[in-house]
Amino acid sequence: MTVDPLYILIAAAVSWINFVTIDLIFRLPERGGVSGAREIARQIEDGGGALHGGYMMGNIVSSPDASAGTLLAACGVYIAGIPGGILAALLVYVGNRICHDPGYAGTTGALAATFIVYGLSLLGFSAAEFIAGMVIAILTIQGISAVYASRLLSTLWRWRRA
Amino acid sequence: MNTEEAALIICVGIAAYAAVRILLEKNTLRKLPFLNVLSFAVAGSIALLLPHPLSIIAAAAYFIGSTLESNAIASTYAGGIREE
Repeated sequence: MTVDPLYILIAAAVSWINFVTIDLIFRLPERGGVSGAREIARQIEDGGGALHGGYMMGNIVSSPDASAGTLLAACGVYIAGIPGGILAALLVYVGNRICHDPGYAGTTGALAATFIVYGLSLLGFSAAEFIAGMVIAILTIQGISAVYASRLLSTLWRWRRA
Repeated sequence: MNTEEAALIICVGIAAYAAVRILLEKNTLRKLPFLNVLSFAVAGSIALLLPHPLSIIAAAAYFIGSTLESNAIASTYAGGIREE
């Protein structure tokens, strides 16, 4: 199969919407789940960012959330189809417990992503495109500008709360 | 170039970019989001390079281990667990 950059960009957009939506549903920007996440948020706010977006970024760093679930589910589906995605969801669940995370954002994200990636693979997408797409999606949140990403997430959080 | 190779090039390229951002950022806690990006890119690369059922466990173990370390580093900087 030849490369179509458009497919990778669509996969990135779908992954981004999947993990941001599930993280917002599970109220990740509300507060830092562990003291480390709160401290990361404080540092991001000191650097000119927004506190609630910082909480979400701190929570993503501190425990496997829906973004990690989406990535690992894409890896699982790439290797072994739906059973691979379910195995990834189980591993994310174990990872959440190891990281003292009481939530289910990661597990939910992994299960949702398993079915999204599998469903779109029937329409001509490859799970490999979702692996690259999720890495691009997390890059836009965590890897370019903490200030702008945290402000964007805070804006989305205000809409979620409204 | 096929889709798998293109995906791998994207993962490795983003991993290298994240490593440079980690080196350039002075504040330890603000390094951690970039380290998170690096972990995503490496976990994705593991699955793309080794399409074997055990690779799912390897990628998840690497990723969760890296997350737990970031969690521990950040919590230590925040003052660790205090007696309430």
